[in-house]
Amino acid sequence: MAKRVSGADFQAEVLDEKLPVLAEFYSDSCIPCKQLSPILGGIEDDYEDQLKVVKINVNFDADLAQKYEVAASPTILIFKDGAEVQRVRGLIKRPELETIVKEVLG
Amino acid sequence: MENSMKDLVIIGSGPAGLSAAVYAQRAMLDQVVIEKGFSGGQIVTTEQVDNYLGLYGENGYDLAMRFKDHADQLGVPFLEAEVTQITDSGDHKEVHLEGGEVLTAKAVILATGANHKPLGVPGETEFSGAGVSYCATCDGAFFRNRTVAVVGGGDVALEDALYLSKLCEKVYLIHRRDELRGAKLLQQRVFDAENIEFLGSSEITQITGQGMVEQITVADKKSGTARELAVSGVFIAVGMEPQNALVQGLVALDDAGYIIAGEDCRTSVPGIYAVGDIRTKQLRQVVTAVADGAVAVSSLEQDLLEQDRKTVI
Repeated sequence: MAKRVSGADFQAEVLDEKLPVLAEFYSDSCIPCKQLSPILGGIEDDYEDQLKVVKINVNFDADLAQKYEVAASPTILIFKDGAEVQRVRGLIKRPELETIVKEVLG
Repeated sequence: MENSMKDLVIIGSGPAGLSAAVYAQRAMLDQVVIEKGFSGGQIVTTEQVDNYLGLYGENGYDLAMRFKDHADQLGVPFLEAEVTQITDSGDHKEVHLEGGEVLTAKAVILATGANHKPLGVPGETEFSGAGVSYCATCDGAFFRNRTVAVVGGGDVALEDALYLSKLCEKVYLIHRRDELRGAKLLQQRVFDAENIEFLGSSEITQITGQGMVEQITVADKKSGTARELAVSGVFIAVGMEPQNALVQGLVALDDAGYIIAGEDCRTSVPGIYAVGDIRTKQLRQVVTAVADGAVAVSSLEQDLLEQDRKTVI
């Protein structure tokens, strides 16, 4: 299950992470986020040693969302070596997300 | 997917499509349900359903998942694919899928539903997901303590404005008419809210900003003047539009684009049925959608029997 990170540990858990990190910005009352949840779970399981998956609750970490100019739930940001390399706004199907993940992993 | 002739292809898996699938499965029809996105239809985004008999207060998402689970338990076959075209060859229909596959079936049930209507102003597409939103409960948290605009005058717009008023510093409620058309109770709550300002007879003509929404231009239809308002978000709730792209030119549509079909769900083309929000009807709700699914399969069974009788004669 994806770890929830906050503004306090974002640097350590995301930006300083050696593996690429898929970070989902979600909100409590967001249905598309619920629909995305099993898709992210599948990606997390299948790419366990290659990709770290984390979640950021925008109800609590609005500053983080604002810093990365995230204004839609769900939004996925993929970080590599501390830099954003991919961004997906809204709900995405598993095959499409997997294509993006594979591109990032090279 | 085997390409032999099926009895039925259902396109869409909201409440209407799933209900049709359940009835078709119990009628032992050889069917497949095609869904391009996610099952459940519009109901999944409803926080609470208070008018579906026997399930008072059910969360919309949970209700939709129960519908899907019901179909799964009966063994309804689903196919995740996008339909690109439907052709009518009289006694059978061809359903063309993205990627070139073609399914043939004796009948098609259209359950493609309706989707939110865009406002159609410059900046709307450009700033979608960057301040323009169609889901206040999804994206409201991004605009905490900021100023936003809600566009529309129906129940959804009023509910959105009220929801956002609890999070945001100020909410402009912009409606093209003088008077709101949502439920009176909601209107009262809107007018009682200190941080909601109602701008009647007004229209947004432009959304602008640098990367994110920063400003809207609002035209006052009565005075003929326009002014700029600084907002961080624009929530659009101006109604729904039927998802009819697949059937334009194939079946008869009304002026608003809904498929003309009566209570029996038969369209202008024999063997093609329309259920749920895509069909002309007085009331678009879950309860009428699931009723359509049941009735459409009943009509289809009658039509298949009639077809078989003619073939024998």
